[in-house]
Amino acid sequence: MDAVPFVRMQNISKTYPGVKALDGVSLEVRRGEIHALVGENGAGKSTLIKILAGVLKPDPGGRFEIEGEPVELRNALDANRRGISVNYQDISLFPNLTVAENITLGQDAAGWFGRVKWKDVRRRAQRALERLGVELDLQTPLEELSIAKQQLVSIARALSFDAKLIVLDEPTSTLSAGEIRHLFQVIRELRASGVSILFVSHKLDELFAIAERFTVLRDGKFVGCYDREELDEARLISLMVGREVRYHRQNRPGYDLGDAVLEVKGLSKQGHFKDIRFSVRAGEIVGLTGLVGAGRTELAHALFGLTRPDAGEIRLGGRPLRLRSPRDAVRHGIAYVPESRQLQGLVLNQSVKHNLSLAVLRRMMNRLRLLEPKREAELARNSIARLGIRPGQPEMQAGQLSGGNQQKVVVAKWLAAAPKLLIVDEPTNGVDVGAKAEIHRLLRELAASGIAILLISSELPEVLAVSHRILVMRRGRLVGEFDGEEATQEMIMEKALMGEPLDDAPKGANAG
Amino acid sequence: MKVRLGKESGILIVLLTLFVALSFISPVFLAADNLIDLVRTNVVLGILAVGMTLVIIIGGIDVSVGAMTAAVTVLLGYFTVAFGFQPLAALLVSIAGGTLLGLINGLLVTAIRVHAIVVTLGTLSIYSGITMYVTGGAWINNLPVEFIEFGRIRLFGFLPIQILFLLAVVLATWFMLRYLRIGRAIYAMGGSPVAAERSGIDTARVQQFVYAYMGFLAGVAAFVHTSIYRQVDPNAFTGFELQVIAAVVLGGASIMGGRGSVWGTLLGVALLALIGNGLTLARISSFWHKVIIGLFIVTAVSIDMWQRMRQERRMAKIDVMG
Repeated sequence: MDAVPFVRMQNISKTYPGVKALDGVSLEVRRGEIHALVGENGAGKSTLIKILAGVLKPDPGGRFEIEGEPVELRNALDANRRGISVNYQDISLFPNLTVAENITLGQDAAGWFGRVKWKDVRRRAQRALERLGVELDLQTPLEELSIAKQQLVSIARALSFDAKLIVLDEPTSTLSAGEIRHLFQVIRELRASGVSILFVSHKLDELFAIAERFTVLRDGKFVGCYDREELDEARLISLMVGREVRYHRQNRPGYDLGDAVLEVKGLSKQGHFKDIRFSVRAGEIVGLTGLVGAGRTELAHALFGLTRPDAGEIRLGGRPLRLRSPRDAVRHGIAYVPESRQLQGLVLNQSVKHNLSLAVLRRMMNRLRLLEPKREAELARNSIARLGIRPGQPEMQAGQLSGGNQQKVVVAKWLAAAPKLLIVDEPTNGVDVGAKAEIHRLLRELAASGIAILLISSELPEVLAVSHRILVMRRGRLVGEFDGEEATQEMIMEKALMGEPLDDAPKGANAG
Repeated sequence: MKVRLGKESGILIVLLTLFVALSFISPVFLAADNLIDLVRTNVVLGILAVGMTLVIIIGGIDVSVGAMTAAVTVLLGYFTVAFGFQPLAALLVSIAGGTLLGLINGLLVTAIRVHAIVVTLGTLSIYSGITMYVTGGAWINNLPVEFIEFGRIRLFGFLPIQILFLLAVVLATWFMLRYLRIGRAIYAMGGSPVAAERSGIDTARVQQFVYAYMGFLAGVAAFVHTSIYRQVDPNAFTGFELQVIAAVVLGGASIMGGRGSVWGTLLGVALLALIGNGLTLARISSFWHKVIIGLFIVTAVSIDMWQRMRQERRMAKIDVMG
């Protein structure tokens, strides 16, 4: 092993307006090492990887060395040339092109006038696959391959670029056990040939099986770098979640909860979630957490009529509900504040006023079924005052507001619809701390007014701050249920990472 | 509150400049006859462009407008030749025929779920093929005398009756966009189909409505057109869809959907009309018209994209939790 590590990053920061995504982070990957990068959702792993990949530029002041030489990567191609190859979670390959083309695209296989030298393409592709010890037909279009094989193509592509560090972002999330074993074997062989691997994953058991060293991030900060021997799963979890409580916690409603508004029994959808059973009562805030990809958003989609479950029952106010479309859901009093509000929650080029009235246009009409501008203006005024939307200009385009204020508009829009059940998916994603606290306050107020709230969030401190009850999902199953007051980050994280499905016996609010 | 200088005002300035320039270049231009004639010959374009505005606002396109209008003129021709001219009946037949064709477009767009350009390219071919088959390409010259008389009516002695139709269409559509639920749904859907759907708007129904409304206006346009030209040429609208789309785009509607207005489109129509009229008065070969109109379109679209990019930069958001 060389004395000079392949990559050394020190004091790397990345600041966005209002948010510090990375704050003085270090990372060191040796040659021929399998290194794990771990942290909760939003800990800054993705940002760090993007800096490594040349996609993002770090703030000035940090050190970034490749093979002992300070570098300033200009773009992804630059990183490639330096021997860094990043395989993102959603494989960024071309489904319509063949295996050979995917492996070699972007390299100088072209001759005079840009003529593609097909022989050369095939030879290079073949060589990369051989190095991986994988056999694939070079002429097969990528889209006809399984995800696992596409992943191997992606790694082969990295090798054909002569990559010395391959970053794998959640590579096993969609693979079967057999495919994972094969991938690990490939990874070990790569290490033997001197290639370094940076492995980003939530699956601790897998990381312990393959990684030699662990770099832990939390809230954009560097926690430490540890050898495998220093760690066990419990220790790693506590390093990941830390101990600080960032928000004011309030886990008792301070009023009596009403009847069950939403009851879900045995809800399943192939490949997404299975046997989900829970309920939310009027006035109650139920936090639903788990790792990204645990099936929470898919579950929310089923509750909002965006997808249809294969089996199980949804009851609203005691009556069974069959949702065929979001329209059905809206009609029955279900509101959904989606994760990507910019795309799904708002019409960005329309005014705040018109966004606010969009879900309740029927109520904005007078007896002649004409829209009444006065009512819309009134709704806008009230919403702006109630939620503290700033700047408070009804005519302003929604797209010009800050993230937090956009989120308030989405929430206000659904409030106008007076829902019985409000589903909020990652409501504070990308909003600054002040706005977060305001949104938490708002959720409490809404619950107090009798709305049942299902809060989906990856941010444990947030879930802990406002939930009366907390549900944890892992791999499409409910694996934990906690009373909001008793739960801790460690308890939740442990379930999210390693929990086993709850048995199907009915559970009360205080179970767990 | 600050009044933003919208894209409409940009085009208005161009329009006024052109207007002033033309009145200097040609003494004929400002003559009431020329102006009224100018409006009359562009009424059909205006009506169709208003319909196309809605289509483009929802992020769609309808390249079959010309074929639809031509098909309805033929239907109307046969109908009046067979049963005589009765204004209301003739108008109703036109509207029914147009709406039906438009509704077919709408149903296909929502059923097949491919981009509207593909669907309407198909129906363009189908509609015009049927029109050609039925007529054999022959003109209908024997329209009833009453129809011809009707087309000559001038209100208050100077205002051609056709202009009344344009006015009605413009006012009704403007009112719909502003005061009816469907209007809000149209803008919302163009801005973000996903957000619209999740707000409980039936986006398929909105699309069907908009394409049917386009057909409805094609029916009106066919009636108006026939009343002006007093005969039916099944080929009269070949390629006309390009002018219609051009007018809408010049009027500031965004081809990506979400933006556009009836007033803007009217300005676009006026601009096209003025350019055409001006070039004619200046005795420039009509072959050049297309080139110059093309330049205007490219310029307008470039300005649109440039403004959009500038706005997006202003709206650049924090994208942290990657």
